Amino acid sequence: MNERRCSHTILFVAVVSSFLAGADVEVLRAAEDARAIVAEAQRRTDAKSQRYEGVLQVFDAKGKISDKRWTFERLGSHGQSRVVLRFVAPPEVKGVALLIVNHPDRASDQWMWTPAIERDRRIALQDRSTRFFGTDFSFEDLEERDVNQNDYALLGEESIDGTPGWKIQSTPKQTRSSQYTRSIVWIRTDSYAVARIENYVKDKLVRRLNYSDIQNIQGIWTARQLEMLDLTRGSRTRLTLEKVQYNLPLDDEAFTLQAIRRQ
Amino acid sequence: MILLRLISWPYFRKHILRTMLTAAGIVLGVAVFVGMHTANQSVLAAFSHTVDRIAGKTELQVTAGETGFGEDVLENVQSASTVRVAVPVIEAVVDSNIKGQGNLLILGVDMTGDRSLRDYDLESGDEAVIDDPLVFLAQPDSLIVSKEFAEKNGLAVGSRLPLGTAEGERRFTIRGVMKSSGLTSAFGGNLAIMDIYAAQKMFGRGRTFDRIDLAVRPGRTIALAEAELGAMLGPGFRVEPPSGRGQQFEAMLAAYSMMVGISSLFALFIGMFIIYNSFAIAVTQRRSEIGILRALGATRGQIRRLFLGESAVTGLVGSLGGAAFGLLIARGIAASIGALISDVYGVAQQADELATSPALLLGAIGIGVMTSIVAAAIPAYQAARVDPVQALQKGKYQVLSAGESRVRVAAAAILGAISAACLVIPLDRSRPVFYTGYVLAIIAALLLSPLLSLALARTIRPVLKWIRPVEGALAADSLIQSPRRTSASVAALMLSLALVVAFAGMARASYDTIIDWMESTLNPDLFVLPSQNIVVRTIRFPKTMGPELEAIPGVERIQMVRDARIVFRETPVMVVAVEIESVAQTTRRAPLAGDRDDMYRRAAAGEGLIVSDNLAQLQRLSLGDVLEIPAPAGLIRLPIVGIVVDYSDQQGTILMDRTLFERYWHDDTVNVLRVFLKPGAAVPDVRQRILKRYAGTRQVFVLTNGELKQYILKITDQWFGLTSVQIAVAVLVAILGIVNTLTVSITDRRRELGVLRAVGGLHGQVRRTIWIEALSIGCLGLVLGFALGAINLYYILQIVHHDIAGMRLAYAFPTNVVLTLVPTILTAAFVAAIWPAESAVHGSLVEALEYE
Repeated sequence: MNERRCSHTILFVAVVSSFLAGADVEVLRAAEDARAIVAEAQRRTDAKSQRYEGVLQVFDAKGKISDKRWTFERLGSHGQSRVVLRFVAPPEVKGVALLIVNHPDRASDQWMWTPAIERDRRIALQDRSTRFFGTDFSFEDLEERDVNQNDYALLGEESIDGTPGWKIQSTPKQTRSSQYTRSIVWIRTDSYAVARIENYVKDKLVRRLNYSDIQNIQGIWTARQLEMLDLTRGSRTRLTLEKVQYNLPLDDEAFTLQAIRRQ
Repeated sequence: MILLRLISWPYFRKHILRTMLTAAGIVLGVAVFVGMHTANQSVLAAFSHTVDRIAGKTELQVTAGETGFGEDVLENVQSASTVRVAVPVIEAVVDSNIKGQGNLLILGVDMTGDRSLRDYDLESGDEAVIDDPLVFLAQPDSLIVSKEFAEKNGLAVGSRLPLGTAEGERRFTIRGVMKSSGLTSAFGGNLAIMDIYAAQKMFGRGRTFDRIDLAVRPGRTIALAEAELGAMLGPGFRVEPPSGRGQQFEAMLAAYSMMVGISSLFALFIGMFIIYNSFAIAVTQRRSEIGILRALGATRGQIRRLFLGESAVTGLVGSLGGAAFGLLIARGIAASIGALISDVYGVAQQADELATSPALLLGAIGIGVMTSIVAAAIPAYQAARVDPVQALQKGKYQVLSAGESRVRVAAAAILGAISAACLVIPLDRSRPVFYTGYVLAIIAALLLSPLLSLALARTIRPVLKWIRPVEGALAADSLIQSPRRTSASVAALMLSLALVVAFAGMARASYDTIIDWMESTLNPDLFVLPSQNIVVRTIRFPKTMGPELEAIPGVERIQMVRDARIVFRETPVMVVAVEIESVAQTTRRAPLAGDRDDMYRRAAAGEGLIVSDNLAQLQRLSLGDVLEIPAPAGLIRLPIVGIVVDYSDQQGTILMDRTLFERYWHDDTVNVLRVFLKPGAAVPDVRQRILKRYAGTRQVFVLTNGELKQYILKITDQWFGLTSVQIAVAVLVAILGIVNTLTVSITDRRRELGVLRAVGGLHGQVRRTIWIEALSIGCLGLVLGFALGAINLYYILQIVHHDIAGMRLAYAFPTNVVLTLVPTILTAAFVAAIWPAESAVHGSLVEALEYE
């Protein structure tokens, strides 16, 4: 009798253990899958360089619209990239530039150049959560992120605008400081293009970034329209990408502080 | 209470004027006390209010005195483990160029991060917006103003506002309006926000910030953050809560506050004598009433409590009135102090609201009541002590008994001897001994004042009799026969005039010393400044202006001066950086300590520091002492190689070579350019050339040597504006005291005056008797006041030398002021006599003769 009971117990424990192990494996697999999905999405957008002309429209809570235009140039991709963003219109802001140096393992370094006073200023890490010059993007939102900077969890599948997509929770690792506690990312299953990102501070949804008008440009699925909604303020900013080009030759020297000071 | 109701109240009602005059003494003292302290507190509160409102959520501030520090410090502070957010700030006060608006406080901030600490209320609600944040940052002429300022001046988004900058007048564009909030209430609403880097350019700040405001990381304490940042930045920086700046401001005003304190205490002391006078007279007047009360069984204690109770009620009424009046005059005094601080210290303040402190008001009322009780204590004691039979006898009570006179003389002699003995120990060795001696000297003078009044009255009797045989003799006899009645008024006048003489003497000596310093040291032909106010250091020149000015025809030499206040041993002192080698060739004055050539040689080589005499006095420094000066680049440890006379700052000055300053503060900007002309060059011509050279490109103000000296003397005038207040108080005291004395005198002598008129005395003769008596009291007060003033002046000069400003002032009796006081006080005495004289003339003759 005791032997039987003992063997039943062992069997029970083995079954439960295997079940739990399986569950862990499932979780692990899901995490690995989520990370793999994000990594794949990142890989598919890798390019030696990128350039586009952006039209920025800010719709405030009262419906007032303000327009600006900028040129965007990026050397490298994701965590290994450098970006120069330069305003070209309206005349009052022409020449104002932002240099972003992204890093795979930490927050980016950012500087702003103001030609009217011939001064650059460093955007401190503490200030990355502030709005980027009256838009609904924050300075942090302009960073290029690397897959290794976050932890991922697959939450399932969900369609965005009728297109199936994976829904993945992204949580910044401790080594990376962020204003957001977590983000939910929707990645389209057909093209691995990002369709939406929702950013949370604790449990509150504060910003939603929608990607639309996704086109294949030089083999890279590119959203030609990004719309950021600030759910706290009730305002939105739309960025339209024009004349998008990849892998064009760009001078490495043009992505330095000295270079943006010269121009 | 019953006695108060049955005895005191009818007396008050019957002698309403005298009661009011009695209370007026306390009203005066309490009003001056409340007015001056409230004004002082209001200015300090306005400064603290501005600091607090601007600070917002700031928990700590990093400063390095007025000089500011390089931008590189910001990154260090931001990297500290205890710091959550750190943002740079520049503050500049500029003339708004709008009539009636005065100054505008410009806050230069980095809008990318500053909103973590300050709530601008820009984009919420319907009322206020910033037009475009990127345009605001991209255009250096961008300003955000407060809603209050915008509405007051009819401004809106898009309006243009001209302001003076380092590059001359520039028109700024309003790109945002802040809605009403804590921040916008700073500086009386005259607040504007600007991008910090634009502010650096506009105000010639190079690459420096004035300070860094920061908030501490959650879970870390402020003390921990202070310690971490203190260790990281070194001794050249101060890390303290925003309230620390208020304390520095208070330290800067310490000298002025001390003078205010002395003046207000004297005012209360004087009020006490008026009360004493009134009650002493009242005791005399009510002798028969006291006798009756005593005869009916009232105890001495009850009599004493009756008079003390009356004095308490009078004191309470007077104090309440004084507090109310003090608040009325406080606003005017606060405006005057604000202007003084702006002109002397370069710290613009707008004390639009009075900071009324319930504690101060209650304290003042309490002091007023206590003063009144103390003042009435002796008369109350005397009223209780006199025998009921004697109390019914008139006249004798006014006389000083021989015994009392001996006691007074003995006491005065002892106190005077102790006071003189206290002078053996200098003030800087033992403050308690010095101040004890000072107080004893005053008390000795007060003890002697009745006897001296009597002696002087006897002395002037022949003169008065010679002037008007009848009226003069009667007036003199009235004084001689009633020394008690006279002496309190004379004592009050004596104290008041003693203070006036002391302040006037101090002012005169200061003027002479400052003029002497200006003649020997401030000898450039022209001074080129970036703003009209020489003490405002908001805008600075670049170093390159030095060679530019030297190239102008007629200019022989340029000296570039950079001055700024730093905190040295917890006191704000002035650092003056100049080319010492050049100064050695242009300054004629020898140092007070140290060899002249050695001093300049070593200071020019950066091997030593020269300090001002007032700094040496206040900080107990000697030649050879090694000073430790905190600077952003480290601690400067250098010996004192010379002590000179320099009045650049009340708290003291440290002179060093410019190269030393540039090395330790990384700051090569200039506050003032001193211009020396070639022989034969015309000052107006060179001045025009300088103005023409920079017309349209830079804001410059060019003052001649004479104009600068006038400016400095004007500031000195403002500083000694307190003297005018003291003279006004003296005049009021004279009028109050003399009216009080004469009113009682006339009542006392009603029968005498009635008899005079009955035997044919003319109205004019009676009037002249009263007038001469009043003028005689004035003369007695003047003589004793000047005598005590001569002693008081010595003590005040010692206090100024060792405790207030460190200035070595020569003793010189202020004859000019004294000569002005004589007709002023005599006129006041005459005015005070007009009404009593008329009441003596027009009173009922029959009633006067029946008076008994």
